[in-house]
Amino acid sequence: MSYRAAVVGAGITDATSPRKQQLSAVELCQQATWAALDHAGTTPDTLDGIVVGNIDGFEGTVLGARNLTRALGLGADLPVTIINTGGTTGGNLMQVAARMVRSGSHARVLCLGGPTFFGVRDLQSAINTNSPMIIEQPLGMGAYHMGAFAANAYRQRYGLTPEDLAAVVVADHEKASRNPHAHLRYTVTEDEVVNGRPLSSPLTQPMVCPVSAAAVAMIVADADDVDGLRSTPALIRAMGMSSDPYLGGGKGDFAEMQNLATLARRVYALADVRDPAAEFDVVEIFAPYAHMQPMQLEALQLAPPGGGVELIRSGATSAGGSLPTNLSGGPKCTNAGVAGELAPYAYAALQVMGAAPEPIQVPGARRALAHGTGGTFFQFENLAIFEALPRSDR
Amino acid sequence: MTTTPTQAVHWDLHYDIHLGATWSRFMDGLRDQKILANVCPACDRVFVPPQAYCESCFERTDRWVELPPEGSLEVFTVAWHGFRGGPTPPYAIGGVRLDGASTLLMHWVIGLDFTEPATLLAQLPAGSRVRAVWAPQRSGQILDIAHFEPARD
Ligand SMILES: [Zn+2]
Repeated sequence: MSYRAAVVGAGITDATSPRKQQLSAVELCQQATWAALDHAGTTPDTLDGIVVGNIDGFEGTVLGARNLTRALGLGADLPVTIINTGGTTGGNLMQVAARMVRSGSHARVLCLGGPTFFGVRDLQSAINTNSPMIIEQPLGMGAYHMGAFAANAYRQRYGLTPEDLAAVVVADHEKASRNPHAHLRYTVTEDEVVNGRPLSSPLTQPMVCPVSAAAVAMIVADADDVDGLRSTPALIRAMGMSSDPYLGGGKGDFAEMQNLATLARRVYALADVRDPAAEFDVVEIFAPYAHMQPMQLEALQLAPPGGGVELIRSGATSAGGSLPTNLSGGPKCTNAGVAGELAPYAYAALQVMGAAPEPIQVPGARRALAHGTGGTFFQFENLAIFEALPRSDR
Repeated sequence: MTTTPTQAVHWDLHYDIHLGATWSRFMDGLRDQKILANVCPACDRVFVPPQAYCESCFERTDRWVELPPEGSLEVFTVAWHGFRGGPTPPYAIGGVRLDGASTLLMHWVIGLDFTEPATLLAQLPAGSRVRAVWAPQRSGQILDIAHFEPARD
């Protein structure tokens, strides 16, 4: 038989800039882990595995995750699975943990994402080492240079202005200002975003995520073995991953997210979602750059082609709207590497558990969509659908 | 708040990446001012840079074709801000659909007036024709194409 997997606890630390962070990476990870255990109402001895991630080179070591887990204080006998899939590592952690639980080999697994952008002095320089060697790396592209390709293609396809991109940023900052865990908690105006320092056209600095220091942990468990746990589980109703070719030039069309659209159709079918815009109470997507959230909303069938910005401007994606999206402020306002990629899963699960930070909780949320993406040109997509699983023992 | 205590770690490592048969043939072509692509036998897609198999069909590519050094610029960005060890900004990087290719070739694009940032997209709108400019000295690497320039016939 197969088992059902659910998130039964999540812990998210407050985020800061690396410069202001007083804790080490290990200390942040401990804080997130203990918060997740506390939320679940359990102790380390009930865990039977850890899934943890790192990104080679970003932390000045290739042993980041392995060294980390020994220092967590969870005991010496927990088997550790290390995920190292570059920018998509954090999004893959829960996918792997859930497969372990569904297979029956594990019953309660800790997923841990640390602050992997924490130490590197020039992150764009580090990210360039992850771009395809020989062919694309010599051209001098860091993360936002590669991200800007889609921004320009999308702008041209639909005639969007810099102000349209700025509107997305204004909305994200407004949301982050209410999330106690967010890093950039100030609000911005469209003018400030449009007139920010140009990084790679059309992206200005305010259109691009910050480098944050934070950690995120989740406990993925057998959904039908929740005795002694305190939380309302978030059932992982459906999930999946999908990849484009590795070379940026292998993408078919930079103006739309075809790979994500393909994945969404597959995951929606697994969860029997027929009218996506009407069926999610809350959405958390990995959108570190201004153009990404509208494009992703379109690929996820939550907005018509070219209609993503209009949906955001309408207030539908804000608190109280019909499709609250990235009420956490998203990675645009907090991006701590692997922790940042795990965060959409943690926030989406917390929403249906009724345990999101109070100012961003969607009242009565029962079904949530979580998304992650990574890779130099965002070739790799992952999705999950959570559903509140009311406890039969209460 | 004061800056938190840190200590420096530095990496300075060199590697030799083995190109293999497929990319070696591509790089040999560049040295001879030829852009070589290969073709999936199942879906007929034309790959440049070439690849040993088709990622959609999982078929080995078996046929080579030479593509013209011209195509359409589908997308580009101007890097206003670079990074340590990278090129000196501003520079433009674009995705070029060479005539007959199914994939984009990423490369530098010249011919933009950087003093007019607001008109960048209008200067080279999607679909603009561009052609490869060969580097005078070529050694079998992607920068044997110096850059792409607007092709104004
Ligand atoms: Zn094929």
